[in-house]
Amino acid sequence: MKEISELKLPENVKYTEDHEWVRPADGKARIGISDYAQDQLGDIVYVELPDIGSTFKKGEAFGTVESVKAVSDLYMPVGGEILSTNTALEESPEWVNGEPYDEGWMIEIKLAAVTEPDSLMSRDAYIELLKG
Amino acid sequence: MNQKIKTDPWFCIELPVTEYHEALAIQHRLLNARINRVIDKEMALLLEHFPVFTIGRRRGMENLTVSADFLKKENISVVQIERGGDITFHGPGQIICYPIVHLRSMHLTVVDFVTALEEVMIQTVADWGIGAVRNQMNRGIWIKNCKLGSIGIAVRRGVSFHGFALNVNTALKPFDWINPCGLAGVKMTSMKQVLSKPPDLNRVYKNVKRHLQDVFDIELIKKTLVDLPFS
Repeated sequence: MKEISELKLPENVKYTEDHEWVRPADGKARIGISDYAQDQLGDIVYVELPDIGSTFKKGEAFGTVESVKAVSDLYMPVGGEILSTNTALEESPEWVNGEPYDEGWMIEIKLAAVTEPDSLMSRDAYIELLKG
Repeated sequence: MNQKIKTDPWFCIELPVTEYHEALAIQHRLLNARINRVIDKEMALLLEHFPVFTIGRRRGMENLTVSADFLKKENISVVQIERGGDITFHGPGQIICYPIVHLRSMHLTVVDFVTALEEVMIQTVADWGIGAVRNQMNRGIWIKNCKLGSIGIAVRRGVSFHGFALNVNTALKPFDWINPCGLAGVKMTSMKQVLSKPPDLNRVYKNVKRHLQDVFDIELIKKTLVDLPFS
């Protein structure tokens, strides 16, 4: 398990208590799981993502990720409509482990409320959460 | 975790041989009670199932090698569920442990938790002189190329459910009708087969409980479902 100081925690995303991240831009947002989350899960072997066009509220489960015989739910950091999903993860789920904020992104949504990401945690607040 | 942290006791709920759907409903109720903190303790359900095949979340029937008609004749149903892993068989004589555990409260990652469940099974069978090990090919516990115990968990809102299945005296024949864990050529075994005689199931339950306490550094407190604050 990585120490907090070893985690990749970029400044340009917002974080949730369920360890998802969201990167908003122009009324849309990309979403994935944090470096901490992927480290907790271990080697990811499968990512199940929602249908394009479906809508979810903040906190609803939008998919699952499977690692070491464990299936974990994924939760919406903010509400919105699914515009696209990262289909590359079908072939290469290990991107979530290696590059959780870049190639390992999971979904792109149209934000239900453009300001909703503002209420989520900054990098510093998230580090405080991880420190417990 | 390197750091040893003293944790709260866990509730231990022992059930008789239970129909799969009924046990699943109980798991979901306890899971929701743990997520909502109606129950603020970790829990372990211990039980056996009536014969059933279960399939992990993203798998199909491809690793079932007999027909649906055949299973109907044998009176065994097939249930698809939300845990990880592929197809497996549950039946009487197989000890099931479903820990319902808030992983972060226990300072456990998913990987640590799966490894710890394997350790509980390894230490349990070691009490009977059986040297089971982990295998790179697949999680669970193994004796050479034979699998003695299986693992499949799910995590919802940070709380794990489902768990492990240890073959004590269970019938092995139904495993011939599947590719266990989706692995062709894998044979299942049982403590009975390894020891060439059936171990006392109640003693194995006691071993499991002792090693749950040792491995997770907790104390188990016996509870029944009616003791618990959930409906």
